[in-house]
Amino acid sequence: MSETPETPQKFVVPIGPQHPALKEPGHFEFSVDGEIVTGASVRLGYVHRGIEKGAENRNYAQAMYLMERVCGICSHVHATAFALGTEKLAGVTAPARAQAIRTIVAELERLHSHMLWLGVAAHEGGFDTLFMYSWRDRETVMDLLEAITGNRVNYSVNLLGGVKVDITPELADQIRKGLDFLEERNQHYLKVVTTDETFLGRTQGVGTMTKEQAFLTGAVGPTARASGVEIDIRVHAPYAGYPDFPVNLVIDTAGDLLARFVVRIKEMQESCRLIRHILDHMPETELTVRMPRRIPAGETISRVEAPRGELFYFIKSNGTDQPERVKVRTPTLCNWGSVINFAPGHKLADMPMILAGIDPCFSCNDRLISIRRNEQDPQLWSWEDLRQYGVQYYK
Amino acid sequence: MNNITLPPLIALLLFPGGLFLLSFSLFFEWADRKLVARFQNRLGPRWFQPLADVVKLLAKEEIVPDGVHKGLFLVLPIIALAAALTAALYVPMLGFSPAFSFQGDLIVTLYLLSVMTLCLGLAGANTADRFSLIGATRTLTQLFSYEAPFLLALLGPAIVVGSWSIAEINTLASDSLWFILSQPIGFLVALVGLMGKLELPPFDAPEAETEIVAGALTEYSGRGFALFRLGKDVELVIGLTLVAAFYLGGIINPLDFLWKVAVLLLVTAGLQSLFARLRIDQTVGLWWRVGALLALLQLLAIVVGRYLNPLLFGR
Repeated sequence: MSETPETPQKFVVPIGPQHPALKEPGHFEFSVDGEIVTGASVRLGYVHRGIEKGAENRNYAQAMYLMERVCGICSHVHATAFALGTEKLAGVTAPARAQAIRTIVAELERLHSHMLWLGVAAHEGGFDTLFMYSWRDRETVMDLLEAITGNRVNYSVNLLGGVKVDITPELADQIRKGLDFLEERNQHYLKVVTTDETFLGRTQGVGTMTKEQAFLTGAVGPTARASGVEIDIRVHAPYAGYPDFPVNLVIDTAGDLLARFVVRIKEMQESCRLIRHILDHMPETELTVRMPRRIPAGETISRVEAPRGELFYFIKSNGTDQPERVKVRTPTLCNWGSVINFAPGHKLADMPMILAGIDPCFSCNDRLISIRRNEQDPQLWSWEDLRQYGVQYYK
Repeated sequence: MNNITLPPLIALLLFPGGLFLLSFSLFFEWADRKLVARFQNRLGPRWFQPLADVVKLLAKEEIVPDGVHKGLFLVLPIIALAAALTAALYVPMLGFSPAFSFQGDLIVTLYLLSVMTLCLGLAGANTADRFSLIGATRTLTQLFSYEAPFLLALLGPAIVVGSWSIAEINTLASDSLWFILSQPIGFLVALVGLMGKLELPPFDAPEAETEIVAGALTEYSGRGFALFRLGKDVELVIGLTLVAAFYLGGIINPLDFLWKVAVLLLVTAGLQSLFARLRIDQTVGLWWRVGALLALLQLLAIVVGRYLNPLLFGR
């Protein structure tokens, strides 16, 4: 009458693809023991849009517009990365004023992205007041971006070989005024985040990642900098306007969620300083140079610092006016390791904040989708198979 | 000063039991949401929004998910609302004397209010949904953490007055010094305990939407959800009335009631928008390490005071 001891079944909490904590579809499975998380896994690929493939069927100017739509929050850095890469292949350098304007818009975009993140992260922690306030103040940046470019989301500032918009002295004054307000608010948020007792209870010592661990998991951007890793493309491989207008590295050594808040808010302050500096020393040059229609054959990589970390572009040209291959690797993809490896051991209640801590952007990082066949071993489908499947499906 | 009494049938159906309480609690929900929204720099809902929500939910289909005990699933919201409405009969609503009153109705009222939470916990545990199960666990965990301090906090005035009847405590509280001045700790514990009872932020871990969707109520839609929500609103009214009657010098007339409860609502709305959500372990820690100890300290002070008072003043 001996009973075999039952192995305790795992209690798995699924988060996503549709879940109030997620603004975009992704799927996470946390196995929990009571409130303690014992395992975590992630499944991506719900929003694969075939942008890389789409770029191959368009010429360079058209592809840039497509690339700008990889991400709704950091659209400008994608276009910048693509434009810089293409210009490098063509052997063209955009004028100094164009580079400065690219940099200003990039930093304004960083401001808006970080404020958006601050609100979302606060909401995940149940601090809706901070969420509402930071999003209210974010409108200031959005208005500035709209004043400069005419758009709130896809700014469409870049051209191959320059920029489309100029910053007039009146516009510069408007930006300065907006920055005054933002700097004051950021100072306030820094104080709130570092002194509010209940908020500290949710962030201090949560999701801690040491410098070595950040290195091993390949974290990038503010997530890595919060762990003390000195990595910032703007500093270590300056592009666009950054060689002329250097930016200071913001790092923190604590490595927990609090450090990620502090790093991002301090980065906003640094962005404000940089924008002011550039506005005061705008180079007086043309806005564009002539770009050849056909790009000489070759390969290049282009790296820029998106608000979330290093954004990587690989562009291969075959001498025609269409790129042969464009590969995009967004920072979110590099940061998943830090979530999955450091989630176990924390409370379930911390999961949304740890997830939000890397500022994930699901749609941006979905580059490839692998479909598993039921009857055979899991394998990738060939292009022909996919076509057949599509024909059958819609017949 | 004596409160006005009402005939029983009116007390059950119109005031303070039925219609009045329901409309009043919807109004309170609106006021609470509006205040929190204004604190957060939002516009907030229009005055009829809670009513519109309830009407909409009542008109909707109630989906009974697979794997639940159907009878329990349907009857739990009704029990929860009924318990909350019954509790209203023992409190001095709007300054009139309670419809029913006896020695010990304080304890009965408090437990009628807890039936609501128990129903929530059961409703969550009844379904097979994982979010509901975690929500139910958290709801019950939270119940065990705030219940004792909340009870102790309301016992303070009861001991001083020397009665277990809400009506008597209300009458005597209006004659003496306000208990908020003589027992400030008790007031704080009672008010914050009420917020924990109602699962208002920052004690909303049992229904933290970014973690477990809607907690124990995830599987509820339509009528069940509407009744649970109404039950919570009724609890908010009764809870605030109790705290006002005990700590803000009793409730004598409707005007008195309105301004005292409005002040309390303002304070709770402020507290709701001030803090980040506490994790469930932090909630339990806060209540047992701070809340319960403070309430006990208060109780000890009252008991010692009651012994010393005759000695010092020779009464």
